[in-house]
Amino acid sequence: MIALWDGLPAETQDIALVVLLILPALIVGRIVLRGYAPWPLIGALLWRFRWANGLFVLLIAVSVGMGIGLLAQERGLRQGTAAAADKFDLVVTAPGSEITMMLAAVFLQPSDVPLLDGATYAAIAGHENVALAAPLGFGDSFGASPIVGTTAEFAIHLSDGRIEGRMWQDYGEAVVGALTPLQIGDGFIPAHGVGDGAEHDAHGGEELHVVGRMGATGTPWDRAILLPIETVWDVHGLANGHAPEHGEQIGPPFDPAYFPGTPVIIVRANELWANYALRSEFITDRTMAFFPGTVLGNLYRVLGDIRQAISLMTLVTQSLVAASVLLGLFILSNLFQRQLALLRALGAPARFVFAILWSYGAVLLVVGAAFGTVLGMIAATVLSRVISARTDILVSAPIGWSEIHYLAGFISLMTLLSLLPALAAFRKSIVAGLRS
Amino acid sequence: MTMPLSVTDCVVRSDRGRVLLSVPSLELGPGVSLGIRGPSGAGKSTLLYALAGLSDRAEGSIRWGDTELLALSTARRTQFRAAWIGMIFQDFLLFDELGALANASLPAMFAPRSDRSALKTRAGAQLAHLGITALKRTVDSFSGGERQRVAVARALSNDAGILLADEPTASLNRDAADALIADLVAKVRNNGKTLIAVSHDAHLLDSMDQIISLTDGQIETPSGARPA
Ligand SMILES: Nc1ncnc2c1ncn2[C@@H]1O[C@H](COP(=O)(O)OP(=O)(O)OP(=O)(O)O)[C@@H](O)[C@H]1O
Ligand SMILES: [Mg+2]
Repeated sequence: MIALWDGLPAETQDIALVVLLILPALIVGRIVLRGYAPWPLIGALLWRFRWANGLFVLLIAVSVGMGIGLLAQERGLRQGTAAAADKFDLVVTAPGSEITMMLAAVFLQPSDVPLLDGATYAAIAGHENVALAAPLGFGDSFGASPIVGTTAEFAIHLSDGRIEGRMWQDYGEAVVGALTPLQIGDGFIPAHGVGDGAEHDAHGGEELHVVGRMGATGTPWDRAILLPIETVWDVHGLANGHAPEHGEQIGPPFDPAYFPGTPVIIVRANELWANYALRSEFITDRTMAFFPGTVLGNLYRVLGDIRQAISLMTLVTQSLVAASVLLGLFILSNLFQRQLALLRALGAPARFVFAILWSYGAVLLVVGAAFGTVLGMIAATVLSRVISARTDILVSAPIGWSEIHYLAGFISLMTLLSLLPALAAFRKSIVAGLRS
Repeated sequence: MTMPLSVTDCVVRSDRGRVLLSVPSLELGPGVSLGIRGPSGAGKSTLLYALAGLSDRAEGSIRWGDTELLALSTARRTQFRAAWIGMIFQDFLLFDELGALANASLPAMFAPRSDRSALKTRAGAQLAHLGITALKRTVDSFSGGERQRVAVARALSNDAGILLADEPTASLNRDAADALIADLVAKVRNNGKTLIAVSHDAHLLDSMDQIISLTDGQIETPSGARPA
């Protein structure tokens, strides 16, 4: 059975799970309603208590929306950050905290990181399995944009070659991310440092020119300004990576003797399998190598506990809301006593009366859950926009299968539970109900 | 089409044990109409509820034909009502949010699928016959007399053999009341139905085959038989 299940395609599993989860509600509904046509009556009763019902639906919708929104958002955030790290197969830095290094290299969070020297870079760049070894130079900025020095190959790799205009060919040229305010042809003067502490006149007045613009990547790199790393070194008065006789060269190979150092080397293997070998090779006493994807994965695992706590909390809120709604239905059923007694006096079977009350509750639940889904989608979209705007990490949080499963489970559970208040129909005798 | 009624030693008590109704003996042939009169609080409605099998507290024997009502389970009594009894309640008991036709054909909602359309047709015909033309408008905007007529149409919609009517003419003007009385009596005469009607209306009582008076839960005039 389990083997059979595991053998199914993921999509089929998801659909099957939805069906399985919603089945109890459908079966109960079928059994309770079989052979009856009570909908006009249910509609009439719903209409009579429309304000109370509206409130119930709203409560359910908000709680369901919160649950779904949080679930979708959390997944969206995970996928967004993972996608942002996609282009960074293997990162080599000086030994230290992987998370700090990853935040600096992948998410461009400024931090003080030690440098790797030219020999180390040369060894990595010259490795037979390395297709791309890009140094990154941080530290300068222009407005809200961090300036990153690197190689043309890396800029092309990062943008998948989608560069409007052209690649830099000379010292004073820059390629900008899709979200920077600079246009092709604009000039700018880099400031030393980033944020409020940036010193604007530290580098003299050398103006750089934008010659290209990368397509959007959905990562913090969309805000960045990329320069030849030689320019960054040069602006800081360092050697520019090349021997004086090759002084005008842009890009690798670099001469170890004139290599000022780089905090990060982004490495791409020529074969997928080689990544693991490279990582173990580059873990030495002077270098650390890690897969950002794995570091993120570890982070998610730690955060997973928090996520579970949040899920539990939303589940508890939701159950509380649902419980109070059921209690409300229970109380409301008192107001129905006379109508329900009348139905029984007219010869309606007990199951019909039960069906009326149950359907009443089920309609509120299903409508509430439907509104909740819409609410959750809106909440997740708004939250995603806010997060994307704040972090430049493209986060999209569409409703996924786990939310649909969650919804189906919620509806089933609650429709089963609303069998309980329906039993309230039989508390009073018919005559007492008629006289009430 | 209908069956005789035989009540013996029937007692209905309140929750606290007070005797609300005590009927040592009441016999009614099939297809006969019975008028019940008596002061307010005498137990007239209580008697109708008991005859319809609605009272959990009735003791003794209430037989409709071969059916001992008080020996049946609640579910079987409900079935019996659905099949045999049409009731007109003293305060109509309509669903305010439904239209006249939906109210009059309410039993169609739980009737077997095959009976539904016939039931709706009958309810519509009854309404038309009683002069109710606004079929869709919700009955909360209806006058007392109109509501009463909708209640009558509902009681007649399942073409039951036994009609139990609690003050069916109380809210009607004289002409409408007389028309309804004539209608109900015709149903008893022509279709062989049994009619038991609680009323203060002398016209209605005069049209009944028999009359009993209830006071303090006791039948005063055991059965004043009148010529048909
Ligand atoms: N559950 C109960 N507990 C106690 N007393 C009750 C209960 N139900 C009815 N009664 C009493 O029983 C008496 C008979 O009530 P019933 O409704 O049968 O009167 P009625 O003859 O139909 O009066 P009316 O003409 O005003 O409709 C009344 O005094 C009423 O208050
Ligand atoms: Mg009464």
